Amino acid sequence: MQDPNVIPESADDPRPLPAGKGVDASVGGNAFAKVAQPMPGDATTRQLQFFAEAVSHDLRAPLRSIESFSALLAARASDDLDDTSRDYLARIRNAAGRMSSLLVAIGELSYVGRAELKPRPVDISLMAEWVIAELQESDPERAAEVHIQPGLEAHGDERLLKLLLAQVLGNAWKFSADAAQTRIDVTGETDVAGRLHLTVRDAGSGFDMRYADKLFEPFQRLHGPEQGGGHGLGLAIALCIAERHHGRLSGKSQPGHGSTFRIELPAAPAAWPTNGNP
Amino acid sequence: MHKEILLVEDNPDDVELTRLAFEQSRIANKLVVVGDGAAALDYLFARGAHADRDPSQLPSIVLLDLNLPKVDGREVLQAIRANEATRTLPVVVLTTSTEPFDVEASYALGVNSYIQKPVDFEQFVWAVKQVGLYWLVLNHPRTA
Repeated sequence: MQDPNVIPESADDPRPLPAGKGVDASVGGNAFAKVAQPMPGDATTRQLQFFAEAVSHDLRAPLRSIESFSALLAARASDDLDDTSRDYLARIRNAAGRMSSLLVAIGELSYVGRAELKPRPVDISLMAEWVIAELQESDPERAAEVHIQPGLEAHGDERLLKLLLAQVLGNAWKFSADAAQTRIDVTGETDVAGRLHLTVRDAGSGFDMRYADKLFEPFQRLHGPEQGGGHGLGLAIALCIAERHHGRLSGKSQPGHGSTFRIELPAAPAAWPTNGNP
Repeated sequence: MHKEILLVEDNPDDVELTRLAFEQSRIANKLVVVGDGAAALDYLFARGAHADRDPSQLPSIVLLDLNLPKVDGREVLQAIRANEATRTLPVVVLTTSTEPFDVEASYALGVNSYIQKPVDFEQFVWAVKQVGLYWLVLNHPRTA
């Protein structure tokens, strides 16, 4: 896991991230020129991140071939195929789809570990509404009752905090699929130290607290694919984002009675140990 | 007459998929395929293996992969923008990468659009169709 205390390059550099930076390195080079970019973390971490990105990127091209040509084969030969053969083709496509989302997640985990943070005020309530709207749009049949407390504010990197909420709310959504009613509550309060304590509560299937230590470990799943289990990276991504904000993330649950995740984030620049710098 | 589409792509599977996507989108423009950045520049500037080509006949659009053998996509883009004849040629990066680094570098070098190739075939066809409709039908090109 990324050391949250490592300050990324140019934390006090007022330049707005990319533009000129890196362009020169890329021109005339190949993809490996990227490794020359300074990134937070030690050499081993950087190598691992580079490897993760190369994997997540370079495996997508062959995966697209597997996905697309099995789709084309299914379309062309469908009339000549029996049910079993069509089932096999569907399995190939589904597997390619799962691998694709795994590769996206590996890329995201690597990205959140090294991205340069640009902290500013973030309307967490609005962002949670936005994430829920996206979840509802991808699953229009689902009847969901979602309550988001208005006026929740954090001070952090907008893009990363959106990703954090997407992971935690996405989990709540996913594991509520079998519940009679999808019910998600997002509440929060800011303490005197200027830290936002956010609570995301669902009424979904929950998880077994005996395995709670595995919850945030990459590739550890507490649910099989039939129960909505995914690639096992979502909460690792969320934890990494919380830690990079000098925050916290924890979860508790009772199987059958839903889960509760608590997220602690800076609510103001003064709540950062570094006074607003990442 | 439909102007050509220049596809700069080294992966033969992606060439086939792009061809199929245009076919399914009923985009009839001739697809010219080159497999590396050096060949792309030879084609555009009518040199080397393409010396007999009329360099004033530019494609309507260049679909450019970024990671290419010999001369990579960023260098191709830079050379296109540096040459008066091709300075305003529409170039769409069509790549697997969404590295913020690649995206920023491409826009800094003057790309017109940046599309990530989806893994899912239907989405891939949809993306290629949108690119084709926008650049070949909707967009008003510069009149030479």
